[in-house]
Amino acid sequence: MSRTAIPVSILYSTTGPYAALGRDAVDGAMAAIAEVNMDNASRFSIVAMIDDPGGRAEDYAVLADAAIRTRQCRHIIGTITSWSRKEVLPVVERHGALLWYAFPYEGYEASDSAVYLGACPNQHLLPLFDHVLPRYGRRAFIVGSNYIWGWEISRIARERTESFGGQIVSDRYVPLGSTEVDHLIAEISQKKPDFILSNLVGQSASAFISAYGEYRKNTTGAPPIVACNMSEIDLEGLPTFARHGHLSTSIYFDRLETPENRAFKARMTERHGSERRITTPFLSAYTAMSILTRAISDAGTDAPDAICKIITARSFDTPAGPIRIDRKTHHAALRPHLGLSDETGGFTLLQSAEEAVVADPFLVHAGQRSDPPVVPATLKVVK
Amino acid sequence: MTRRIRPPLAEWHAVILHREHPLVDALRRQLELLQIRVTVCWPHLDEAQATADVVFFDADMGHDGQFPWPRGLAPMPIIALIGSEAPGRIEWALDQGSNAHLLKPIGSTGAYSALLIAAHAYQQVRAQADDIRVLEDRLRQRPIVVRAILHLLQNEGGNEAAAWKHLRSVAMNWGMTIEDAAEAICRNDKRTRSGA
Repeated sequence: MSRTAIPVSILYSTTGPYAALGRDAVDGAMAAIAEVNMDNASRFSIVAMIDDPGGRAEDYAVLADAAIRTRQCRHIIGTITSWSRKEVLPVVERHGALLWYAFPYEGYEASDSAVYLGACPNQHLLPLFDHVLPRYGRRAFIVGSNYIWGWEISRIARERTESFGGQIVSDRYVPLGSTEVDHLIAEISQKKPDFILSNLVGQSASAFISAYGEYRKNTTGAPPIVACNMSEIDLEGLPTFARHGHLSTSIYFDRLETPENRAFKARMTERHGSERRITTPFLSAYTAMSILTRAISDAGTDAPDAICKIITARSFDTPAGPIRIDRKTHHAALRPHLGLSDETGGFTLLQSAEEAVVADPFLVHAGQRSDPPVVPATLKVVK
Repeated sequence: MTRRIRPPLAEWHAVILHREHPLVDALRRQLELLQIRVTVCWPHLDEAQATADVVFFDADMGHDGQFPWPRGLAPMPIIALIGSEAPGRIEWALDQGSNAHLLKPIGSTGAYSALLIAAHAYQQVRAQADDIRVLEDRLRQRPIVVRAILHLLQNEGGNEAAAWKHLRSVAMNWGMTIEDAAEAICRNDKRTRSGA
């Protein structure tokens, strides 16, 4: 029996300023493709159309357009930064295609032509700050990449901190891809914040964490870096002294102890060997491709309208747990975890939400919250 | 229905403050169809372009210091080009004094209505600012009204009601504001004397 070959665009930057994230994402997507293509019972196979925009925002739209028009792709698994996603959205909307976006982002968007599998602020920043503000203190130092992700997360963090009676002692930005971070360390040393929120992306994040590690070696009581987008990949290759003690919120960590994740990691060990650590970008793209292939199987077609009906009608088991996608917002309900990094660059889980949190991309409900986080009576605020 | 005066678009010069992008080409096409002369610039608008009749500016990547005028005091209608509907970006566009907006992506429509709405909003903001300035002047002149009433009570006799009546009639007869009339009374302008 011949199988239908379905082309799917994989659009991640595997070169450029956040290439490490892109390479892991491509690997994740390809792992999901391999699973369906090796399944003899499948009536279709996926043909990966891989393009590398090189981290240049303007190239994303051109490549997405070409994938849809000349290579008949009706689905694009791709984009990491909001800058690039916003370049691709008009293209998929124009052609009736579907963009599968699987990374944490700042919210304030809900396109019918996109599926949002990454966390938005009520699923990452708010739970992170609910944990951090009562435990570490109210004086935050914010660093971020200089585009909408950094700006908007900073704005929400400021509102949340100020509603708790705290203050942002500094709010600094770095061009995407820049590794000039010494001035940030100097300012942190001078202002002595209670914690640092990093919204840096890719090599900027790694450079900052590394430089902060050097600073911390000679500074007692240096506060932690906290982030909504720090994963194992950002700590890989850094000196061991720089890797530990950072708090990250994520929908997945390699060490997630669940039957689904153990089974997934066992499969990935067969494919990539036991040394390969599964990072959040790998898992995210894997999940997107995996849900797409199961939806194609259910629908018997890759037509975006039919796929949207399927994915918003039922729950999908994933290594991060069951995922349900909201029909109106096209956002996934996700279960955020909080991890603390150690010297190996892995994250130990500190706490997890009891259940999946429904996405509130416009912070309509969270905006009405009048319940600033409470300082636990038994915990001392570390100054 | 109020008939509004439409701006003479064919004589207009528009500046698009945006990096190179297909949307800039789409917007330029729309504006040139209206016979508007178009200049594109990025990342700054220089003083020579401050004479433009309208400025379209990027709200997504825009930042302070791009305009050669103080924040919010553009000397022409300005129109935000919005892709990210994030509150931070919209607030930034509002801080610049945006009179209208166009949502990205930009296709073949939208610019004309944005131009008319922005031109109207800008005129209204200007008119209201003028009104506020006049009212503030009048508020500043209030002490002179009190002084004028006291002056009339002392020099013309009669009661407070008569003094007010006198003040109002001076203002009416000479086509002045109450405040200007009061000032004239205090400096003994001969037009303000009884029977004048």
